[in-house]
Amino acid sequence: MEQNVLLSLSHVSKRFKTELALKDINMTLRQGEILGFLGPSGAGKTTTIKIITGQLRQTSGEARLLGTDSANIDESIYENIGVVSDSSGIYKKMTVWQNLAVFARIWKVPRERVEQVLDQVGLAEHKNKPAGKLSKGQTQRLVLARAVLHKPRVLFLDEPTSGLDPTTAVAIHRMLLELKEQGMAIFLTTHNMEEATKLCDRVALLHDGEIVEFGSPQEICLKYNRNKKYHVLLAGGRELELAQNPENIVKITRWMEGDEIMRIHSCEPTLETVFLEVTGKDLNV
Amino acid sequence: MKSMDGAMRPAQMSMGKAAGRGGSLHKLAAVTQIKWLCISRNTMIMIGPLIVIGMVYACKILYGVRSEGTLVPFLTGMLLNIGISMNICAEGFIMVGTSIAEEKENHTLRALMTSSITGVQYFFGSILIPFVMLMAVNYIVLFISGISLEIVPWIPFFLVSAVASLTSCVLGMIVGICAKNQMNANLISYPFLMVFMMIPVFGNLSEGLHKISGFLFTGVMTGMTERLANGERYVMSALDMAVLFGELAVSILVFLILYKRNGYEKD
Ligand SMILES: Nc1ncnc2c1ncn2[C@@H]1O[C@H](COP(=O)(O)OP(=O)(O)OP(=O)(O)O)[C@@H](O)[C@H]1O
Ligand SMILES: [Mg+2]
Repeated sequence: MEQNVLLSLSHVSKRFKTELALKDINMTLRQGEILGFLGPSGAGKTTTIKIITGQLRQTSGEARLLGTDSANIDESIYENIGVVSDSSGIYKKMTVWQNLAVFARIWKVPRERVEQVLDQVGLAEHKNKPAGKLSKGQTQRLVLARAVLHKPRVLFLDEPTSGLDPTTAVAIHRMLLELKEQGMAIFLTTHNMEEATKLCDRVALLHDGEIVEFGSPQEICLKYNRNKKYHVLLAGGRELELAQNPENIVKITRWMEGDEIMRIHSCEPTLETVFLEVTGKDLNV
Repeated sequence: MKSMDGAMRPAQMSMGKAAGRGGSLHKLAAVTQIKWLCISRNTMIMIGPLIVIGMVYACKILYGVRSEGTLVPFLTGMLLNIGISMNICAEGFIMVGTSIAEEKENHTLRALMTSSITGVQYFFGSILIPFVMLMAVNYIVLFISGISLEIVPWIPFFLVSAVASLTSCVLGMIVGICAKNQMNANLISYPFLMVFMMIPVFGNLSEGLHKISGFLFTGVMTGMTERLANGERYVMSALDMAVLFGELAVSILVFLILYKRNGYEKD
């Protein structure tokens, strides 16, 4: 096994009573990598995070986190991982500062680190505010600040930007990329395909508890780029979508020579269209 | 897989690991601090001890004026009885129970449990402040009730008071483990309150209740103060001892059974 693999799942399945929520999940996460778990609601993303972090037991298969089988995980693992989920709450009556300070105490993190993290998430000016008074985006940033306070080796984010405004989302994306640069491994779930394309080194498309596609966003998109197409805007305002075939190539070449092309795009599939295709719910048919 | 923990890890990433080594007292301290910050900001909870102390003090003054400064023992006993039962029950269950319920409501319990706090640390961190407050109020009530302090048997008083307060805190943990939210916690507390608070309080009025009261940990406590109020010596009986430690043991057992089943929070 490669040295810097921090997390690996092999043949993990989870059954809730009769419902098979996860089927034979295999994947690895390396240091300094962002891995995205994409899937619609109910696909099993949260369940996967819970199994890896020892909050839920898998029905079969093996999950190893930082060298420990998740079945044998005890509380000490949380000193090396950070978890942000929709059920990560904050102490509303405490100030923003106190919210971090008490966790800093748990992890023996120095005061300066608290200041640093507050700066990073842009909450420094609100540090004496009761946390209950924060806006939704600010709250989310506080939760993220807490999750990275102890510089975990692996960070788990369950839909870190869902319901946030684009500016806050971008700020969070920037922070995640910085953390990745510092060597943190990040496992995030999202149903925002754009976010995944932008952030993730590799993504797993999850559908009904099964990984239906796995690889870098680019690889996946190009793999499905079977029918190459070009979108052309001609002088005079005519817009065309042309498939790649000898006839069209000649056409485009001629337009190019005549300097008639105002704009030309290749129409490769996005993660979104790939997802729709592999899950059999292709809306473009 | 051993190699995974090895040299590949950048130096700055080892902060969490270091925290694991130096014992875990700092984690207990952190939970205690959290509980203090929560409890001290909860007016509903903080007002309780003040009401108890204020009530005992006010009664003493009001009745004291009519009887030229000295209370009849029956009244002193009654006062102590009400003050201490209210303190131990209402405050104990409610302080511990609702603070856990509040953490469930706000999903901070999950945050703590995924931050390397163990169940044991959470248990002791949750009851430490309430326990100290219960004990303090017991002593304050004793001092202001006007009882003659020469006859107070300090060691048995401490022992009874400590075991009763602890039992109350454990019952509060049981309430907290069962409750889904704060409303729910109050609802679950009522039956406990009816039994452990009302029976000793009304024990003064009915012989039957008085007998039952002797089998409750709160009743042992009020039984002791009643004797003291009457100017009698208190010697701990075998029954008192059995009731106190028996009920503490049963509460701890019930707590453990519930905890083993679902942890603090059912998933
Ligand atoms: N504790 C549970 N008991 C029974 N079924 C569950 C439980 N937790 C999850 N499930 C089921 O497992 C499936 C996957 O749920 P999961 O929460 O992992 O989805 P998700 O991908 O996180 O969805 P979302 O995007 O909505 O958060 C769902 O069908 C859900 O109903
Ligand atoms: Mg989810």
